[in-house]
This record gives sequence, C-alpha cells and structure tokens, in this order.
Amino acid sequence: MSRFLSVLVHGIWKDLPPFRLVLGLCPALAVTASANNGMGMGLSVTFVLIFSNLTISLLRNIIPDKVRIASYIVIIATLVVLVEMILQAYFFGLSQQLGIYIPLIVVNCIILGRAEAFAARNPAFLSAVDGFSVGLGFTFSLTLVGSIREILGAGTWFGIPLTGPDFEPFAFLVKAPGAFICLGLILGLMNAYGRWRGENVIQ
Amino acid sequence: MREIAKLVLVLGLICGISAGSLSTVRTYLADRIEQQNDLFVRGPALELLLQQPAQDILANKLIIDSPEGQALLFYIMDTGRVSGLAIETVGKGGYGGDISLMLGVNMESNQLLGLEIIKHQETPGIGAQIEKTTFRNQWRKLSTRDPVRLIAAGGTIDGISGATYSTNAVMDGTQKAISAFNNSKDQISELIQQANSADQQIE
Repeated sequence: MSRFLSVLVHGIWKDLPPFRLVLGLCPALAVTASANNGMGMGLSVTFVLIFSNLTISLLRNIIPDKVRIASYIVIIATLVVLVEMILQAYFFGLSQQLGIYIPLIVVNCIILGRAEAFAARNPAFLSAVDGFSVGLGFTFSLTLVGSIREILGAGTWFGIPLTGPDFEPFAFLVKAPGAFICLGLILGLMNAYGRWRGENVIQ
Repeated sequence: MREIAKLVLVLGLICGISAGSLSTVRTYLADRIEQQNDLFVRGPALELLLQQPAQDILANKLIIDSPEGQALLFYIMDTGRVSGLAIETVGKGGYGGDISLMLGVNMESNQLLGLEIIKHQETPGIGAQIEKTTFRNQWRKLSTRDPVRLIAAGGTIDGISGATYSTNAVMDGTQKAISAFNNSKDQISELIQQANSADQQIE
C-alpha cells in the first residue's frame, strides 16, 4: 500500500517533470503562452503517459530487449496520433493552438523515460498510476507557467479578463523570452525551497 | 536465426496492431474532423466571402469534377436561386508547398466576390503577404469571363515582389477555380438542384 502511495505522489513533488527532473522543457516553454494551452498540452501528455505505461507494462515480458526502444516508440506514436485525432475532432481550436507540439509528444523524454525507468519493470496497474502521477505533475506545472504568463502578460486567465483597463500587461511574457524567464524564476524558487528543506537539489 | 525471427515478429505485430487500431479510429472520426475543419478553417473565409453565417453555408457543400481535378464548392440560395458560390482549389507551386484558397463568385453578375487564403506555409513576411487584404482585394469585382492575370501577363493583378512563387501559386489556384466554374456551370446548377430536391424529399 505504501508503495502505491509513494508511486501516486512522487510525480507531484519529488519527480515533478519540468522543474525537478528538468525533462519535457520543450512543451513547457513553447505552448505555455496561455493557461488553457498549457493545460491542454499537459492533459494530452497525461493521456499518452497513462496508456503508454499501461501498454508497455503489459507487454514487458513479450517485447525482446533488443527491440524494446523501437517497440516503445511505436506504442507511444500510436497513442500520440490517437490524441491528435481526438483533439482535431473534439477540441479543434486547441489542436490548432498546440500545432506541431502534439506530434512532438512522441519524442518527449518524460514518456520514453517513464517507459524505460518504470513501466518496463513494474506491474501494469502500478505503471498506470505512475503515468497518472507524473502526468498530473506535468499538467500542473504547465498550467502554472501558462497561468503566470497569461495573467501578467495578457491580463486574462483561461481567457477570462482579470485586470482592469489600467493594467498594462507585460507583453514580453507571452512571447518566447517570457517563457525562459518564467521557467527560470520558478526553477530558482523551487531550488531555494528545496535547499531550505535540506533536499538534494540540481546544482 | 530464431531470435531474429522473434524480433521481427514481435515488432511487426506491434506495428500491425497499432496501424489497425489507428485506421479504425480514423475511419470513425474522419467525418467529425472534416466537419470541424469546415467550421473553423473554411467557416471564417465563407462568412467573409458570402456574408452569411458559416453554419448556413457549410451544409450546402458540393464536390465537382473538372479537368483539373476535384474542386470543393459551397453555395448560398436567394429566393430559390443560387446567388453566390465559393470555390476552393489548391494552387500548386508555392514556396512552402501548395496553397489552399477560396474564390467567391456572384452568380448574378458573374463577378468575383473576393479571394480568401485557407491554408499556406509561405515564409512569414514575404510569401505570407498573400494573406494581406491589399493583395487579396485586387480580386474583387473581376469578371469570371476574362482570365485573371498578373500585370506582367497583361492582366490587372499586382503581384508581390520577392514572392514570385507564392504569387504564382495563388494565380494557379485562381485559374483552376475560374475554369472549374466556367467549365461546369451547368453541372453546378444541376447538382445544386439535385441536392435541393433531395433535401425536400427528406423533409
């Protein structure tokens, strides 16, 4: 039971993908101009993570070691194309916004990383939980970066206007440099907090 | 030898199952994706060209065969007669690939209602200037009886300097749309009548 719990929560703080593992930075920087996009991307990755972990874990005794990476990529790519089609059919606006970054989930290091590090040597249910946990952390992080950039950079949150007309938005935050600055500040704050708690942090 | 056979077999099986499941989903979702595409990509262009809500126009969709290939066509009715058409064609030979565009035709005056670019991958700032209204407005009120040509070829269209490929692709698409219209005028009205009587029968 304790193993289940530790797997369930490790993705939310200990192995938080973009901030603690510093993995999956490309989508974290590229599509977080608004909270909505960040969340959409996060949920898409979560979907792929849960099912890729589940499938790979179920097939872990069948897939020969020599072709495992190729097999994983085929499975992940299938799921990503599935997500792409579902987005196009039901969330067309979002799929236009995320554009090329949806197909690029295939090469997202988090997914292959979880497949290789966890799903390949753990039972199916636990692997799915691991995918859910890491995906949740990723979704949370991307929504956070997107929210900060959207609120300060455009004065809205999920498209809802928050600030009055007197507020002059920091327009650079919704552009590419704003992503780096925002991510850097969050990373710095998290490291400072981690150090204060006496954890091992990325130097 | 047996090992290699096993590797090939497993990887082949995974690929086969993936391809099979994807094509199943694809067939299932294709209609819905096409609908969404119509609503969000073609819809705004149709509204601008034909000055009616996209929802009303999108139902009036026809595919006509012409010597240059298939053309997609939307029409609007006014007091029992077809008053306007929008013809979508693909202009070949753009700098970044083919350019999808739509031409509006006023059926009463045989004049063009305008040009809308549906999809292109031209260079931002250079070829992408085909989207600008100053360029596209040149199509307004041109007659469908005369060929649309660049000034250099004795016509009226002022091309974009530095973006010859993009301009030529737009001209190619225009010519296809106009010749599709002129060659199959009768076919078009016949098809529209058929579509309408079919609608009435259903009612």
